[in-house]
Amino acid sequence: MREIFEISDRYIEPGDANGLLYEPLDGGATYRATRRYEIEFEGDKKALETFIEKTLLDPISQEMHEGEDPALSDFTFVLEYGMKPGALDLEKEAILTYYKGIEEPGFELKELKIRQRVYLFGGKGDDSDRFIRDICNAAIHNWSVIQAG
Amino acid sequence: MEERPCAVLLKFPGTNCDSETARALETVGFVTEVIPISALKPESLVGVSLVVLSGGFSYGDYVMAGRLAKLVTEQKIGETLKEFRDNGGYLLGICNGFQILTQLGLLPEGSLVENTSGRYQCQWVTLENRAPDSPFLSQLPESFEFPIAHAEGRLVTSEASIAAGYRESGAAALTYTEDVNGSFEQIAGLQDESGRVFGLMPHPERFLRRRDHYDPDWSGGNEDEEWGSGYYLFRSLFESVTSDEE
Repeated sequence: MREIFEISDRYIEPGDANGLLYEPLDGGATYRATRRYEIEFEGDKKALETFIEKTLLDPISQEMHEGEDPALSDFTFVLEYGMKPGALDLEKEAILTYYKGIEEPGFELKELKIRQRVYLFGGKGDDSDRFIRDICNAAIHNWSVIQAG
Repeated sequence: MEERPCAVLLKFPGTNCDSETARALETVGFVTEVIPISALKPESLVGVSLVVLSGGFSYGDYVMAGRLAKLVTEQKIGETLKEFRDNGGYLLGICNGFQILTQLGLLPEGSLVENTSGRYQCQWVTLENRAPDSPFLSQLPESFEFPIAHAEGRLVTSEASIAAGYRESGAAALTYTEDVNGSFEQIAGLQDESGRVFGLMPHPERFLRRRDHYDPDWSGGNEDEEWGSGYYLFRSLFESVTSDEE
């Protein structure tokens, strides 16, 4: 079975997108960042959700969105990136080490993929190439872009 | 033979302020022991008066600052820290240690999230001592300076009214005198109801001696005074611990 959880911060205001780039955009644009966890598992879905809420979500400052569709709306595009298969993902390793220490988790975690999402608000859809160039590192990252529907 | 109180400093992968914090604690009179989290057992705290979670970037701040340290601590020793507090023990969390204490639920509800500046901030700040009776602050004046160095130091609560209540209740033991990082109610440090658990974002261990103040324009304090404000936080704590043990 496969589940997707996307976590966003309640209190972090959209930032100036130029802060992510080496050269500023022609017009103003803002961004928000989220983290997306894609999980392959077997066993009790409720136990998985409990694990996610305890491990990955801060109920005071964060919100969790379940499913494939983007957690935020009204964006110009979303840049999604993460570590390439085979590249060392220390966050993933830390989570897996913790999971392996749980005596009876109630589910078997088969695969965990962690992706960062950068939502751009304002600007133009074809600005995405500049964000890819300045944020992603081709040596360790792979990425995709979701354009506004 | 005089017996000095023992302070244990928990060290996670990424903790990097334990040596200077241990030095500060030893300067005021504690015996210290740094225990790596991998070696921590419930019995590690037997005979200990103070547990310190010092600054750094435990587990690389992955997921969110303090989260993995909280999970691993609970996995290793369960409710031992809560029992330690209930049995009269003191807990101090500095910077990342404060983030871990909030995650562990040992302080009133709160989370430390990214500064409103969106940047890592390293600067001196002026603080207001709002709990002069606190075991951690009793020897500090009404206003003093400490350095901060953090990216995730903005204290938030699930509702803003909860943080406002902390000013009323005294939980907001330490506040910034100006808006430094967007913390609700400008809160820099929180204490629990017992007063024996205290967390703060600024670094008292980095201002142990007056000469440690690295701002060349600083003219505060008495030039003949050897000690910086940080010394008085640790000294307050030592006096409280030893008076409890007498």
